[in-house]
Amino acid sequence: MALLEIDGLSKSFGGVTAIADLRFEVPKGQVYSVIGPNGAGKTTLFNMLSGIYRPDEGSIRFQEREITGLQPHKVAAMGLSRTFQNLQMFFNMSVLDNVMVGCHLRTRSGLFRAALRLPGIVREEREANRLAREELTFCDLERFVDLEAGALPYGVLKRLEIARALAVGPQLLLMDEPAAGLNDTETAEMQRLIRRICERGITVLLVEHDMGLVMRVSDRILVLDYGSRLAEGTPSEIQNDRRVIEAYLGGEVQYAV
Amino acid sequence: MADQILQFLLTGITVGATYALVALGFAIIYNASDVVNFAQGEFVMIGAMSAVALSAGDNGLPMPVALLLAVLITVCVGVLLQRFAIAPARGASVVTTIIITIGASIFLRGVALLVWGKDIFALPAFSGEQPIHIGQATLLPQNLWVMGGTGVMVLGVHWFFSHTAVGKAVLACSCNRTAAHLMGINVGLMMLIAYGLSAFLGAMAGVLVAPITFTSYDAGVMLGLKGFSAAILGGMGNPMGAVAGGLLLGLIESLSAGLISSGYKDAIGFVILLLVLFFRPSGLFGRASVERV
Amino acid sequence: MKRLRGLFLLALLVVVLPILFPDNYYVTVVAVSAALHAILAVGLNLLMGYAGLISLGHAAFFGVGAYTSAIITTRFDLNPWLAMAAGILLTGCIAFIMARPILRLKGHYLAMATLGLGMIVQIVLVQAEGLTGGPDGLGGIPPLSLFGWEVDSDLRWYMVMSTVMLLVVWLALNLIDSRSGRALRALHGSEVAAEMMGIDTTATKTGVFVIAAISASLAGSLFAHQQAFISPDSFSFFFSIELVTMVVLGGMASTFGAVFGAFVLTFLPELLVVFEDYEVMIFGAILMLMMIFLPQGLFVGLQGLLRRLLQQRAPARLPAPAEEDKHGAA
Ligand SMILES: Nc1ncnc2c1ncn2[C@@H]1O[C@H](COP(=O)(O)OP(=O)(O)OP(=O)(O)O)[C@@H](O)[C@H]1O
Ligand SMILES: [Mg+2]
Repeated sequence: MALLEIDGLSKSFGGVTAIADLRFEVPKGQVYSVIGPNGAGKTTLFNMLSGIYRPDEGSIRFQEREITGLQPHKVAAMGLSRTFQNLQMFFNMSVLDNVMVGCHLRTRSGLFRAALRLPGIVREEREANRLAREELTFCDLERFVDLEAGALPYGVLKRLEIARALAVGPQLLLMDEPAAGLNDTETAEMQRLIRRICERGITVLLVEHDMGLVMRVSDRILVLDYGSRLAEGTPSEIQNDRRVIEAYLGGEVQYAV
Repeated sequence: MADQILQFLLTGITVGATYALVALGFAIIYNASDVVNFAQGEFVMIGAMSAVALSAGDNGLPMPVALLLAVLITVCVGVLLQRFAIAPARGASVVTTIIITIGASIFLRGVALLVWGKDIFALPAFSGEQPIHIGQATLLPQNLWVMGGTGVMVLGVHWFFSHTAVGKAVLACSCNRTAAHLMGINVGLMMLIAYGLSAFLGAMAGVLVAPITFTSYDAGVMLGLKGFSAAILGGMGNPMGAVAGGLLLGLIESLSAGLISSGYKDAIGFVILLLVLFFRPSGLFGRASVERV
Repeated sequence: MKRLRGLFLLALLVVVLPILFPDNYYVTVVAVSAALHAILAVGLNLLMGYAGLISLGHAAFFGVGAYTSAIITTRFDLNPWLAMAAGILLTGCIAFIMARPILRLKGHYLAMATLGLGMIVQIVLVQAEGLTGGPDGLGGIPPLSLFGWEVDSDLRWYMVMSTVMLLVVWLALNLIDSRSGRALRALHGSEVAAEMMGIDTTATKTGVFVIAAISASLAGSLFAHQQAFISPDSFSFFFSIELVTMVVLGGMASTFGAVFGAFVLTFLPELLVVFEDYEVMIFGAILMLMMIFLPQGLFVGLQGLLRRLLQQRAPARLPAPAEEDKHGAA
């Protein structure tokens, strides 16, 4: 059963068509990648899936429920989380607090109980703290727990964003170019991290320009071109797809698989 | 009734023209440096007060000379403000710059208080006090000076930004500072020009309306707020929007003072401004900013 | 209780001051205003410092609270505590209704809208003479009394005002160090990311706006009873600006910074009085200079300076930053 079903999805900005009549399904428990040249509409797709943009047309079904047009926090509450192409860190907060914000949905207390520090708050805080530390350890970030987010290098921030998204407790994690700007060692770490996330039973929808990484990590791949579907299939099917080779890679293909 | 309305419109346009000049000053500084300059109203006050001081008394300067000097003094204040208060705080947050300019406005007011005291002054009208009749409505020659002067300056500013190399360079800095710098534009100088120009507009507004509204050391406060309102109404960063916003605000106030209540005229202006913002969060002529993620 | 160390220090100061300097004008009069301002600044700091939402019209809520208390107690002879509750309710409702459309705005537009709201309230206070007494103000407001204990001397007001201040500081510290507090700060850091973490940003903004407003209303009611006479001048645009300045001067996103800013800005004019005619000018200059050279605020700036000095003496790196408010960095 597909976890995410997209049908007839379209979005344009003024004259620019970013996504046009797109249809695809993401099976549960897999790493599903979306690739395509710059401006193909990948981030726009993510923005619609996560409720940041409202689609012009079409439907998005997640866990067999319609989520088209829902606000992002409602989408998040249903178990969809994401990272951003341009870091959206809470730079005014510590590393731990950043991830604890991710635990927002797993704790309940409201303004007044918190302000009066009624019983239960301390326990809840401890629980959130524990969850956050777990995710930080999972992403190999335990060294940075007490630092301010603003003090971290770019590569670490990329992983911090993932830890924060995992803290939400998602069924589906959208990752927008997690390896962009990383060096080779960091990219290899990222690849392992993505697989480990998948092994936890979290479905991963990945957008990435690093073809090597995509081919190694994905179960299925969707190729976008000018907002529509050019091809879809397993990594080996995509690598041998003539249209993909012509349109996207200009003929000569060399994958470092 | 129709005559009354005509009278309100004439008053509204005069007041609105002043607001427009102040708002234009706001827009120019905002465009050049992303700063909302809450000391803009003080430029108006300094222009008017120095003109009064320079021309007053038996051995005062002749009017045109006094006006010219007053405007020059204000321009100097504007340039100094940029150089010593705004430039050192580059990169500060919106709130911090707001407080710096508020500090500057309090400082300038304090200086004015020290130099001129708390008295209220008037400048003699430029060309007599003989009212002009239009139907039942009357108009002072000074009103014409305000409207005409504003018109000329608005056109001048428009021409400056669209036709002169310096004007275009200032605009380039506001679009992208780094790029402008790399293109060999002297960004620091352009900032000084922007502040000088804003101060010039403020001072002109000051000397033009001083014969009608009188002036005192704290006359800049309300004008500054109105100018800011007008600039926001038009859409911050759109100079012609600021002018339109100023005229509109002047008309709204004058009409509501005449038709509804003079005590509540300012409140009505602000209510309308809020309503506009609720429906158009970037002002009437501002471009809606889309946040890309 | 490391978390509340700063609060205990502040409480100690509050207790010790009148013992050391009884009958001192600065303690019994100026410190009372300072505590009042601290209540307002701490509330505003939740909105501005933590959630990053600027307000140039906060005096409006202060005014609505003060006038509700004044009108209800003088016209209808009702119990001051009831009046205070009514003020909080009314202010809360106004803030709740205005929050949604106003907080959709960003940056300078938000500044303008809150400024406009403040101006509208002040104009109504001046113009609605039948209700508010107009520009002449309203007098004869009865003092507060607590189970028969009349708050009628300077020292008693000192006790009440500083107790409420400590309480408000405690509430604010608790709030910031909680799930909701993190939501506020996240909102400031990145609105989309906050939404994506499941935070209903619209509701959170509304919540903090209402909280800031009702704390201002509470301060307003106290002010009305303490002064016994109020006029619209106390709730003008200038006072809103003063409040913002307190928050920024102390250091945004630091509760003790807000308290500190309130104290500095209350005592400064008292000390500048000796300069007579130069007072306004010097005040403006100090404001400008402090913001230019310490843009992160006095309290936060001094804290950083102190830490650097300490680190120079003991070069070994401390395991965790040793300040009271670990969220101090803006
Ligand atoms: N908010 C927006 N307003 C206007 N146009 C937009 C907006 N967001 C995206 N676009 C346009 O939509 C098209 C698709 O953009 P999108 O960011 O989705 O591409 P992408 O596939 O993520 O590219 P990249 O690989 O560079 O990240 C582009 O032409 C872009 O300019
Ligand atoms: Mg993209």
